Amino acid sequence: MESAIEIRDLTVRYQCPGGSVEALKKLNLAVPRGTIVGFLGPNGAGKTTTINVLMGFTGATSGTATIMGRDVKESISRERIGYLPEHPELYKFLSGRELLDMVGRLFLLDKAARRAAIARTLDLLAMADAADRRIATYSRGMMQRIGLAQALINDPDLLILDEPTGGLDPVGRMLVRKVISGLKSAGKTVFFSSHELSEVEMVCDRVAILSGGELVAEGRVADLVGGGERLEQYFLRVVDRKDPDDSGSGAAA
Amino acid sequence: MNVSRIVTLSRMVWLEMMRRRDVYVLLILLAALLLCLVSVDIFHLSGVVNYAKDLGLLLAWLFSWILAVIVVSRELPGEEAQGTIYSLLAKPVTRGELIVGKWLGAWTVVSVSTTCFYALLAVIVLLKGGIFHWVTTAQGLALHICALSIICAVGMLFSTRLNPDAAVTTSFLVTGTSMFFVPKIPRMLFLIERDMEWIQGWLIAAYYAFPHLELFDLRRKIVHNDAPAGWLAAGQAVLYAILITSALLLLAWAAYSRKTLSRGRQI
Repeated sequence: MESAIEIRDLTVRYQCPGGSVEALKKLNLAVPRGTIVGFLGPNGAGKTTTINVLMGFTGATSGTATIMGRDVKESISRERIGYLPEHPELYKFLSGRELLDMVGRLFLLDKAARRAAIARTLDLLAMADAADRRIATYSRGMMQRIGLAQALINDPDLLILDEPTGGLDPVGRMLVRKVISGLKSAGKTVFFSSHELSEVEMVCDRVAILSGGELVAEGRVADLVGGGERLEQYFLRVVDRKDPDDSGSGAAA
Repeated sequence: MNVSRIVTLSRMVWLEMMRRRDVYVLLILLAALLLCLVSVDIFHLSGVVNYAKDLGLLLAWLFSWILAVIVVSRELPGEEAQGTIYSLLAKPVTRGELIVGKWLGAWTVVSVSTTCFYALLAVIVLLKGGIFHWVTTAQGLALHICALSIICAVGMLFSTRLNPDAAVTTSFLVTGTSMFFVPKIPRMLFLIERDMEWIQGWLIAAYYAFPHLELFDLRRKIVHNDAPAGWLAAGQAVLYAILITSALLLLAWAAYSRKTLSRGRQI
C-alpha cells in the first residue's frame, strides 16, 4: 500500500553564522496509511526541519519527500492534509469562527460544507462557546485548540502535528488525545512530533526517533520497547548511543 | 492560480485593515488637514475654488501613495514575523496566489480609500460653489487607481525579500523617484551640457528603468475643468499599468517562490 509520507535520502543543510549545519542527513522514512506515528527526538534533532520540508516551507538540499504520492513541492499535496504548527500563530483580528471560515474557503469548500465543517470542528474541540470571540482574547490552550480545529476543517486524510499538546493543561491534553484516537478510528494517518513520551506511548502505533539529523530507530512501539522497559528509557538509550552531543546542536529545531 | 483563493486572501487584507482602523485614522486626519487648509486664508486664495481642488488632489496623491506603500509592504513580512504564514502556506495555497491575493487586497483597499477622498474633495469643492468636469474627474480617478496598482506591485516586490522597514523605505524611494524625478528627466537631458555624456547615460537608463507614474496624473486637467485626455492615450496608459503590474508581480513571485521560511540560510 502507498505510504502517507515517504521520505527518501533527505538532506537539508543550512548556512548559519559561523558555518553550515546539516539539519537532516540522508533521512529515509515511510509512514504507513492509517497509522499514528510519533516523531521523536531531542531538541535540534531535525524534527521541525523535516516537518518544514513536508509542508513546503523549506526546500531540501537533496533527496525527495512525498505526501500521499505527491511531491511536497506541489501545493496540491496539501489538499488532503491538516497541519498544526508548534506555536499556532493565528490571525488575532479574526474570531475563531471567521478563521475557520477563511480556512474552509482556502480549501474551496462551498458554503454548506463550510458551515457543517465549522460546527463539527468547534464541537470536537469544545470551542463552540468561544467561536465568536476575537482570537486575540483566547488563552494559550484555546489558541492551540482553535489551531487544531483549523487543521481539521478539511477532514484531512493525514494530520501533521508539531508538538500538539505543548502549553495545554491536562484537560486540553486529554481532549487532543481523544481527537487523535478518533482520527485513528476513522482510518486517518497522524504524524506528530512530541517531547511527551508518555503521551506518545499512549496514542501511537509506531514511533520514529531522530537524533542529530539521522533516524536512529523506527517501528512499532511494542516491537521496539520490550522487557518491561518504558518508551522514555528506550528513547534515552538510543539517543545517547547515537551521540549525546548532537542533541544541542541547534539550528535544526 | 485559483481565483477563489486569491479573493479569500484579499478579503483577509480588507478585514485586517478595517479592524486595525489605520485607514479611517489617515482619512480623517487628511480630511481635517484639507478642511483647515481651504479655510485658512493663505495669500487670499481661500476663495479660489481651484486652489481647494489643487490642494485636495495633491493630498489625495500623497495619501494614496503613503497608504499603498505602507499597507502592501508589511503584508508578507508581517505574516512571517507573526508566524501566521506557516498556517497559511500549509493550505493548498501557492506562493503565486499569496502574492496576487495580498496585492489585490492592498490595491483595492487603497483604491476605495482614494475614491472616498475624491468624494470628500468633491463635496468641499461643490460647497464652495465650484464645479467639476465629471468625465475628466472620473478618468483622472481611474488613472490614479492604475498608478496605485503599480505602486502596490513595487511594494509587494520589495516585501518578498526585505523586512518591513527596508521594504517600506525602498518602495518609497523607487516610487518617489518615479513620481517626482523621472518626469523631469527629459527637461534635464535638454539642459545638460553635451560633453557630460555619462550623466546623460545614467539619466536615460533611469528614465527607462523606473515606472512612469506621471502618465496617470490628470490633476491639472481636473483643476482647470479641461476636457478628458484622449481615450486612446488613456487606454494605452491602462495597458501600460497592466503590463508593469504583471511584470512586477511575476518578479515578486519568482523572488518569493524560492524563499526558505525558516531560520538560517539554506544551501
